[in-house]
Amino acid sequence: MSPEANPAPRSLAESLRMRDDASLAALLRSRPDLITPVPTDLTQLATRAGTRASVLRALERLDRFALQTAEALAVAPDPASYGTLLGLMAGDAGDAAVAAALPRAVAVLREQALVWGDDDRLRLVRTAQELLAPSAQHPSPTGLGPSVQEATSGMSPGRIQEIVARAGLPSTHDSVSAVTALTALFTDRRKMAKLLAQAPDASLEVLSRLVWGPPYGQVTPDPAAHLRWLLDRGLLLPTAPGTVVLPREVALHLREGRAHRAPEPRPPALEPVATHGAQVVDATAAGQAYTAVATVEELLKEWDEGGPAVLRAGGLSVRDLKRTAVVLDVSEPVAAFWIELAYAAGLLASDGEADERYAATPAHDDWLEQPPAERWARLAQAWLRATRTPGLIGGRDAKDRTLSALGPGLDRSAAPEVRHRVLTLLAGLPAGAAPAAEPVLARLRWERPLRGPRPDDAEDPRSRLARWTLAEAELLGITGRGALSGHGRALLGAGAAEQTAAAAEDRGPGDKLPVHHRAAAPAEPLTAAEQAVATGAAARLLAPLLPEPLDHVLLQADLTAVAPGPLRRPLAEALGVLADVESKGGATVYRFTPASVRRALDAGRTATDLHAFLAAHSRTPVPQPLAYLIDDVARRHGHLRVGAASAYVRCDDDALLNEILADKRSAALRLRRLAPTVLATQADPATLLEGLRAMGYAPAAESAEGDVLIARAHAHRTPPRGAPEPVPDGPPPPDATLLSAAIRAIRAGDLAATAPRKATGAAPAPGELPRTGSAETLATVQAAVLTGEALWIGYVNAEGSASQRVIAPIRVEGGFVTAYDHTADEVRTYPLHRITGVAELEE
Amino acid sequence: MNGPLIVQSDKTLLLEVDHERADECRRAIAPFAELERAPEHIHTYRLTPLGLWNARAAGHDAEQVVDALVEYSRYPVPHALLVDIAETMDRYGRLTLTKHPAHGLVLTTTDRPVLEEVLKSRRITPLVGARIDPDSVVVHPSERGQIKQTLLKLGWPAEDLAGYVDGEAHPIELRQDGWALRPYQKQAVENFWHGGSGVVVLPCGAGKTLVGAGSMAQAKSTTLILVTNTVSARQWKHELVKRTSLTEDEIGEYSGTRKEIRPVTIATYQVLTTRRKGVYPHLELFDSRDWGLIVYDEVHLLPAPVFKFTADLQARRRLGLTATLVREDGRESDVFSLIGPKRFDAPWKEIEAQGYIAPADCVEVRVNLTDSERLAYATAETEEKYRFCATTATKRRVTEAIVRRFAGQQILVIGQYIDQLDELGEHLGAPVIKGETSNAQREKLFDAFREGEISVLVVSKVANFSIDLPEATVAVQVSGTFGSRQEEAQRLGRVLRPKADGHQAHFYSVVARDTIDQDFAAHRQRFLAEQGYSYRIVDADEILAEGTG
Repeated sequence: MSPEANPAPRSLAESLRMRDDASLAALLRSRPDLITPVPTDLTQLATRAGTRASVLRALERLDRFALQTAEALAVAPDPASYGTLLGLMAGDAGDAAVAAALPRAVAVLREQALVWGDDDRLRLVRTAQELLAPSAQHPSPTGLGPSVQEATSGMSPGRIQEIVARAGLPSTHDSVSAVTALTALFTDRRKMAKLLAQAPDASLEVLSRLVWGPPYGQVTPDPAAHLRWLLDRGLLLPTAPGTVVLPREVALHLREGRAHRAPEPRPPALEPVATHGAQVVDATAAGQAYTAVATVEELLKEWDEGGPAVLRAGGLSVRDLKRTAVVLDVSEPVAAFWIELAYAAGLLASDGEADERYAATPAHDDWLEQPPAERWARLAQAWLRATRTPGLIGGRDAKDRTLSALGPGLDRSAAPEVRHRVLTLLAGLPAGAAPAAEPVLARLRWERPLRGPRPDDAEDPRSRLARWTLAEAELLGITGRGALSGHGRALLGAGAAEQTAAAAEDRGPGDKLPVHHRAAAPAEPLTAAEQAVATGAAARLLAPLLPEPLDHVLLQADLTAVAPGPLRRPLAEALGVLADVESKGGATVYRFTPASVRRALDAGRTATDLHAFLAAHSRTPVPQPLAYLIDDVARRHGHLRVGAASAYVRCDDDALLNEILADKRSAALRLRRLAPTVLATQADPATLLEGLRAMGYAPAAESAEGDVLIARAHAHRTPPRGAPEPVPDGPPPPDATLLSAAIRAIRAGDLAATAPRKATGAAPAPGELPRTGSAETLATVQAAVLTGEALWIGYVNAEGSASQRVIAPIRVEGGFVTAYDHTADEVRTYPLHRITGVAELEE
Repeated sequence: MNGPLIVQSDKTLLLEVDHERADECRRAIAPFAELERAPEHIHTYRLTPLGLWNARAAGHDAEQVVDALVEYSRYPVPHALLVDIAETMDRYGRLTLTKHPAHGLVLTTTDRPVLEEVLKSRRITPLVGARIDPDSVVVHPSERGQIKQTLLKLGWPAEDLAGYVDGEAHPIELRQDGWALRPYQKQAVENFWHGGSGVVVLPCGAGKTLVGAGSMAQAKSTTLILVTNTVSARQWKHELVKRTSLTEDEIGEYSGTRKEIRPVTIATYQVLTTRRKGVYPHLELFDSRDWGLIVYDEVHLLPAPVFKFTADLQARRRLGLTATLVREDGRESDVFSLIGPKRFDAPWKEIEAQGYIAPADCVEVRVNLTDSERLAYATAETEEKYRFCATTATKRRVTEAIVRRFAGQQILVIGQYIDQLDELGEHLGAPVIKGETSNAQREKLFDAFREGEISVLVVSKVANFSIDLPEATVAVQVSGTFGSRQEEAQRLGRVLRPKADGHQAHFYSVVARDTIDQDFAAHRQRFLAEQGYSYRIVDADEILAEGTG
């Protein structure tokens, strides 16, 4: 890009050829689509850079001012000098801010290969020109119409002459020079002012309505005087019957040369609405970070023994989401966020079994072992890089299907970039400063304006992503009270830290320009390796801010225990068994109930254990009612014993039972004494009876009600069963009607097939259809009508299948034969043209 | 970051009592947070919309609330919670009810969309009249209470600045001879009078009647006092004659037996809510005089129909007196909108610390059922079960042992079942007061007890409310109305009056082990423990052993 050293380039390819490597690299970095696949030479690169798709993509990634600059170039003469462009952007009066920002915008456009040529001859690449130039279908954001030359291209020379004359210009017979003269008049501010000075007020009113666009207006076939005045002088030019347009040059004159009503050379300022102490922000964020880790932990603990089922279409059912939200004590969207976060961090996945459920991954177990700061870092890193956007959950996709948590259709590729950008913007503010959401969104819209109109009610996707980013960053404890925390800043990496420091210095008065694009390069999301380093740094910053886990609780007489902070894991787990959690947050309130104490006893603790445990971990004396409760529950615990036995021996004489137990032969029966008069065994009653009989006893079997069962050899019976249905060999015998019908059919068929035919000259072979000419067929049939004879015919039905029939024709008319059909045993009508031939039956 | 307060995500606040800054913190959060539990180490407060609006009504703003939380919190306060507090508090006072010189009662707003929103509600439409200007609308004067109730339900509580009618003047003075209003009572009267209408929350035995008397002396106008029952009505009358310039003739009783309407009239809830042929015949009492003040005793028991009448009395000053704002029917919001916001509140422990109520030793005695009783209990019908276990014979022996142990002191034995009480009375040689005891007989016995002529009194639940037994130092509860927390509070209140000799008060609950009696007791005791009264559980054998030893 040093035009003075080289002759001016004549094409984009040439201009690219003149660029140095760094500049080409910058182009390829910002337009990576150009090197997939790698072009063979610069000509090819230039061609590709000029394709519609690529140009569109590049335009969509321009910031608002660069885009406005490109739009201005699209309405400027091609090529345009820098001065012309500046005039269009800043207007006749000039605008210091625009003048200051324009070189950067032009540089960006050049770097992106959207503009080439040196400052005297700036040229927008043709595709961009076509995309941005105003046309009737795609009005330009500038609100400018076509130029005089374009608008008059289809006009009759006579009409042009008239306009030129009315506008007070010397007449010329050449249309081209007439248009040039008119253009020259319109672009001459002084003459134009003189011309407009004569205009009626109503006409000026019309012009002022059209000046900022849209430039088109409707006129009746017989326009009013003030419109006629404008039309006569070419200040409005007809485009289609009934439609007029304000030519670009006229509009620019009225706008004092400005292509845009409101050029936006500066990004919207990001003023903080509140500034908190950095310490408050860090502490709040750290508190929330701890909550984030604890919530994900709680979620996975809840799903520890089998999470909810996976929907057939993938994802979590609304009911399961609701249930989880209740368990976590958060709203559903927030619950969805935590679930998606755990999923993105690889802590949660579908188990892939036939009956598919969600469950924690093995990585979750490793994660649990890490210190809290590390655990948070993993979540934060997963969030930064994830393309899944929980904010969409509950909405509907293009096919009107509900988007479910963990389900398909939640990926938005722009998400990591937007998250990074939003955090970088926050990082650009002084520590502790919290901006409102709207300015952040406005800034993002400036950096990446959307081309084309959008429905007003729908927020653009990037703004939605940004809004979610702000909310999620707060939930994750990356921001605190809306301001970026110290550890949040570290997440953005060292480069960002330096850049934000520089940006903060740049923010002197009058200089709120974004840094040059090349310097802005580090604002791109970090690579995986860089991110890992940055996350590590963030975790180190966060670690000292997180509350230290405690090893004690406060016990109270209302049978609650309050842990005034997070507890060490073993203590928390033990207490979680012994008591129910009643309230969560910075502290945890546990309540002891008989049921919870019993749970602990069931889990194998003894009352002594529990007393010792409470005494060891309570900072205050154990309240008497609590100690009493534990003893009271322990007293009753295990008082009743339940077991399974499949048979028992009962005897009022316990001496006899002693004898049985002492007998070695009973060892195989594995008898156990439950009470002085009862023995139990796992062996079934029959085996037990056998065994006892073998030992010489005479036991009697007992029913469930305690009656003695009379053992009688009784025959083995099935449950009620019906007799088998006979399976006859073949179908049932037919009845008389069926029989007679069948016989008739058989006979008729037989007649048709076997009737001896008169041997004619062309007698067909048996089984073949008779073939005769149509005249002969007609004659034979007519004869048969007269004689009342039966005929043998070949017939092809409407489906094309052929058959042989024996018919007795009754009459022939209109190409149809009406006949008694012996085969079908009824009178039918046959089209003659379908009869392949006839043969007389032999007598 | 080492404050005494922990803010929980469920909007409870945990205050560590032993912390050096606990006291200042308690004072800072008391205006907006309801004290829910006050056991020995950590007190639990709760943030509710009503509490926050109470604070707004008392002149606190969101800034103060947020500052207090942030200032004393040990851990960072979740941002969302602070935002929620600010938003909730911001809702109060957007709408105000005022008196317009030309249009009468009007609802005005400082935030037009809010007015638009509430006027769209179908429940508001019938209550309002013409729109005066974009920011105000006429309210039918008769719907003053109704609209406040409805607006509260819509989440936009209106501030009632429409003032009060003075009512018929009547001279009332406090006669402070040999006694004086305690400082907190004075404060309560002052807060109430300043706020116009509202509720004063004081523990049992803290002298709520005197707060009522003090307010009447402020109002100096005819007063209607609504109380729970006839005994309570007599107590009020007795107290008023003793403490104020009012004479017997100036005070009327409006109850089932007497229907007097005097400058100061004491009516029972029961007579007001008597229905005959679908109408409330005694309602005209409210209109029978131009009352300047209406006092509601035991607001937490206010029956639903009285709320309805109260809605029509919004132009009169209303004073609610109660020991707890907790209503077992959950109508706290109606108390807030119809009687008024909480104007004064002092927890038991604090007044006890000031020496105005006696500290109590609460003991639960667990008795074992005998084997035959256990069998009877196991086979009893569900609705009979409680009766079976609550009236076990062992309880009688334990009660006797306790009475023996405190021989010479004033002892109350309280129970639910008449048979049990009669039997106890017989064994203890003490008179029994129950539902069928005539009012005259009751007062006679109460007087005798007060004078120390009898030292043991057996009472049924008729004595639950508003009777004043200053010299009881021991209460033994043998059976109760299942698990009612209010009842427990009232019964404990029986022994919490300051004792002449500084004796410690004792509160015994005799409970049958392993039965639903024990479950109910656990429920009631949880309430005690939450009020900061630590209690012990002892086995009946210990008491019996002591008794014989």
